Amino acid sequence: MKVIVDDLAVNYELKGKGDRLILMLHGWGDSLTSFHDLVIDLMPENMVVALDLPGFGATEAPHEVWDLDNYSSFVADFLAKLKLKPDVVMGHSNGGALAIRAISLGKINPNKLVLLASSGIRDGQKGKRAITKAVAKAGKATTFWLPEQKKNNLRQKLYGTIGSDMLVVPRLQETFKRTVRQDVQADAKKLNLPTLLVFADKDPAIPISDAHKYNELIKGSILEVLKSDNHFIHQDQPGKIAALIQEFIS
Amino acid sequence: MEKLTVAVIFGSRSAEHDVSIITGISIIKALDLSGKYESVPIYIDKKGRWFSANELKDIALFSSGRIEGFLNKQKPILIKVGDGLQLMKQGLKPKLLNIDVVFPATHGTHGEDGELMGLLEMANIPYVGCDVPSSAIAMDKALAKIISQSQGILTSKFVWFYADEFNNSQKQIITRLKELKYPLFVKPVHLGSSIAISRVKDESELINAIEVAAHYDNKIIVEEAVNSLIEVTVPIVGNESLQLALVEQPLTTADNFFDFDTKYIRGGGKKSNGGGKQTGAQGYSKLPADLPKELYLLAENTAKDVYKAIGCSGIARIDLLIDSKAEKVYFNEINPLPGSLYAHNWREAGKSTVNLVSELVDLAKEKHQKKQRLQTVFDTNYLKQY
Repeated sequence: MKVIVDDLAVNYELKGKGDRLILMLHGWGDSLTSFHDLVIDLMPENMVVALDLPGFGATEAPHEVWDLDNYSSFVADFLAKLKLKPDVVMGHSNGGALAIRAISLGKINPNKLVLLASSGIRDGQKGKRAITKAVAKAGKATTFWLPEQKKNNLRQKLYGTIGSDMLVVPRLQETFKRTVRQDVQADAKKLNLPTLLVFADKDPAIPISDAHKYNELIKGSILEVLKSDNHFIHQDQPGKIAALIQEFIS
Repeated sequence: MEKLTVAVIFGSRSAEHDVSIITGISIIKALDLSGKYESVPIYIDKKGRWFSANELKDIALFSSGRIEGFLNKQKPILIKVGDGLQLMKQGLKPKLLNIDVVFPATHGTHGEDGELMGLLEMANIPYVGCDVPSSAIAMDKALAKIISQSQGILTSKFVWFYADEFNNSQKQIITRLKELKYPLFVKPVHLGSSIAISRVKDESELINAIEVAAHYDNKIIVEEAVNSLIEVTVPIVGNESLQLALVEQPLTTADNFFDFDTKYIRGGGKKSNGGGKQTGAQGYSKLPADLPKELYLLAENTAKDVYKAIGCSGIARIDLLIDSKAEKVYFNEINPLPGSLYAHNWREAGKSTVNLVSELVDLAKEKHQKKQRLQTVFDTNYLKQY
């Protein structure tokens, strides 16, 4: 289904049955289809609303450069448009950081929060950014003679190798820069709602130390660490994650 | 025998730009395979610049994303319009290329809607497919229904309005829409390929769906659904004498209609009744449709009536809605340039794609020759009085 929110055509799915509504927020470069298996497992006992965030999947890109605050306002507007009040918010990766920021800003007010391999802890990002900048500069100087397309391919490979999602969606490069610089630790500390944290012990994108940090920051949060080296744990172990979520929200 | 030079125009500033690339390149392939034509690709990019180069015949150039880099190195072509149409490649020594026939392969706005045909009429050159008025009518879902109704063809009940009317007086529009029974379909009138079409079951969904349609178009149509529905589509080729392919039955999605994703994105690897593996625009379908003989014939005749009522020539595809219990056939939409010419259906009906494009070029020449016989200019002494 599509709906117009903030002058953007937004793609979303609303499925399931029951009184409890779960809002699912995907990560950077991802889309609502990421939650396909998880939705199937949760549908029999819950209503689930998942959307393609602006710039991803089948939703139009924002007209300007956005940060997590803009995305938070957008999610609030989306819910208001459809007259939905989620009881549970679940965010994966950058969708987790967005959920934390949106709750902290009072844009959404769920009763429970689930964070899957959530990003948002940006400690040590300065060092990483400096390395990225230096590599980018060196790359620019040594590849100036290459055709534009080859240069772009090389840039994409290079950023991928150093673990940056900056060029996953090239047109959102500036939005990406703003978003990943936004640390949500202070927001996480403000949270006062039951929170389930599910992380992979060998996640290549999010260090397990971030899971423990969130566990300390969010009062009363429950941490579940799964044995996996996949950042997309909900795709790797959908049944297990659905069972954890169901138990937590029931 | 000298080969005819056929320019295939595809792309353009349309929401269906990418679908058009697939149609254009499939036509070029068939023209080249026939050995009778010199095909010339003309690609209009999303900015509206016209390019022509042999490399544009290769789908990999588009699918790999290399197209942008390639176009950056190319100079757009110029079009010379007089008594005929010539391409002019810019450079130190500009080259002129005479075009004998144009094969429009553009979908949606700035192409399929008659705009391109207007240019070709001014150039007085033979071109494949529907002319200016029939293309324009076919691309306006409301107008096509009104004209068909005037010829006694059944349509489901509908209301149309402009987006501005809805924005300025939403209550009035909603009141007008109360005469329709849910579930309803909301569509932008000018867009094809099921873009921004929603099926709604109550007023709150209706308002959201109208906003989505108004995001893409300035004119909107809201239609009643047909009960006991069998949806079919009928490809037709011809000027005066018409040939029909098979009546095809798209198999509906969970949302009960063929949306853009089903038609063009999830369309791969589908099986037809005939057992042939089908991919692309047709999605899941039964070929031929599973209909009682009388209903099959009624669908064929209704499709022919619509084709004639709209004034189509060359090629078109008529979408029909059948109430299988009441045994009634309703006209739904007409597509003056079916995606990839609906070649999969024509093949199943016994016509190869090579033969299909050759016949379409012949029909274009026939229509053009006939038009030349019409008197459009004559001498008068009108100016002498001034």
